[in-house]
Amino acid sequence: MSDAGWLFLVVSWGAVAILVLYSIYKVFASSE
Amino acid sequence: MPDNHNGRREQWGSRWGLILAMAGNAIGLGNFLRFPVQAAQNGGGAFMIPYFVSFILLGLPLMWIEWGVGRYGGSLGHGTSPAIFDALWKSRVAKYVGILGVFLPLVVLVYYIYVCSWTLAFSVFSALGSYPVVEAGSGAVSTASYLAPYRAYLNDYIGASSGGAFFTPLPIAYFFFIVTLVMGMAILGKGVAKGIEVLNKIAIPALFVMAAVLFIRVLSMNSPVDSNVTAATGLAFLWEPDMSGLLNPKVWLSAAGQVFFTLSLGMGAIITYASYVKHSDDIALAGLAAASFNEFAEVVFGSTIALVSAVIFFGPQGASVIAGDGAFSLGFISMPAIFTHIGYGGFYGFIWFLLLFFAGITSVVALAQPAIAFFEDELGWTRRRSVITLAIFFFIAAHLPMLVTGALDELDFWAATLGLVILALFEVIIFFWIFGAEKAWEEIACGGRIRIPRVFFYIMKYVTPLFLFVILVAWGYDQLPGVLSKSGVGVWLGRAFLLALLGAHIYAVKVAWKRRRNRRVTEDMQ
Repeated sequence: MSDAGWLFLVVSWGAVAILVLYSIYKVFASSE
Repeated sequence: MPDNHNGRREQWGSRWGLILAMAGNAIGLGNFLRFPVQAAQNGGGAFMIPYFVSFILLGLPLMWIEWGVGRYGGSLGHGTSPAIFDALWKSRVAKYVGILGVFLPLVVLVYYIYVCSWTLAFSVFSALGSYPVVEAGSGAVSTASYLAPYRAYLNDYIGASSGGAFFTPLPIAYFFFIVTLVMGMAILGKGVAKGIEVLNKIAIPALFVMAAVLFIRVLSMNSPVDSNVTAATGLAFLWEPDMSGLLNPKVWLSAAGQVFFTLSLGMGAIITYASYVKHSDDIALAGLAAASFNEFAEVVFGSTIALVSAVIFFGPQGASVIAGDGAFSLGFISMPAIFTHIGYGGFYGFIWFLLLFFAGITSVVALAQPAIAFFEDELGWTRRRSVITLAIFFFIAAHLPMLVTGALDELDFWAATLGLVILALFEVIIFFWIFGAEKAWEEIACGGRIRIPRVFFYIMKYVTPLFLFVILVAWGYDQLPGVLSKSGVGVWLGRAFLLALLGAHIYAVKVAWKRRRNRRVTEDMQ
């Protein structure tokens, strides 16, 4: 896979992973 | 007595329960089977950019709208779109438009429960090691001939081997259908907090663990026929960026359609689930969290497990052929063929199909709940009566796609391709244009633990309905002539069934509103 492909993959997976972690953090933070 | 008597409706037991239930509603067979097929058929990298844009402009806004509509309805004691649309839009036709929110999920379930039962059956078959074994790399076999025994295995199971107008499924297929139906109805019988919520609290974390195990296994696979083909080859199949997709309307339509399916939008299920949220409780963050879980399951696990393993085993060309044959080919034919050729394949096959079963059964209960809510809220039925009625309906109706060739595709087109876009368009117009954009925005923001950026107000008001309208016209133009020109026993029986079911819904709404009027008169007299 080209460098652009790896970049696209990392950015996409990273974005959804950050979205999940942010949601989990906010749900826990707002529960306290 | 129904739970909504004396104005009290059921509620979710916890915020995590709600989020996992909503995630369970969204995460279905489509995440692991439909998504990789759509991505592969639409050029892989060319598909992903329109997919992400559609998620922002269509998926997220529409999801928040459905949560807002549902929670608003719940505050009035209603959990389904006929009554909620009637409250939002003071028009005699509103309740009839809202019928779609009960009708569409019921139609989908008529075949979805049966397909879900295959996953349960195949997980058991994997554990028992009952698949045929074809030696990998033995001679220059084509992908098609290599997969032939596995295709025959599936065709025998569903009774499609003869290729006639009717299926003759194996008795074991019937048995697993009954088991799946009984399981789904038993969960629904326990109610929202003790049934649906408990199921999702177990199934969704388990699904993520199983997906993670398969994800790691697939990325560490070696090709049995070509050492040059690795997991990176499979990932390149989907993630090599291709800007040409941005100029292709077909790719945009497919991407938007996938976003619709994956978030279970336009089905009425989100509205019903959200109606069990307290009016002062957050929906902005809960909605975002549920959508995030769904996207992670789809973009990371769904893009990798079935498609990358197919590329490793059959090469990019072979994987294209498999994906071209559709989701069943990828999930039920290619995957068993791969698992029979890796160490502990029975175990991996077992968790692959169990994962699909968990994804499916959580969607089954979500899609059945609108009908239960309608029976309870609008007809005053008990939960027990509602569930038994629904179970009898599904038991009888499922014989149509189970036994008649072509019926499944017909039901799928009208309900899961066209119908959901129509319902979604009505949701946006009624909530943002008739009920009022500012009021709708306040409804969505009320109790929010996060602040939704104001730009989404304009997206919800202008961009989302326009996007939906374009999809509706384009799909209608592209697919309707082909569908209408089809004929055959399954096609016509499917259409007759849809009309009869729609008629039954109209009758049920008339009965419900007559009951309402009578109750009002009685209260006035008191």
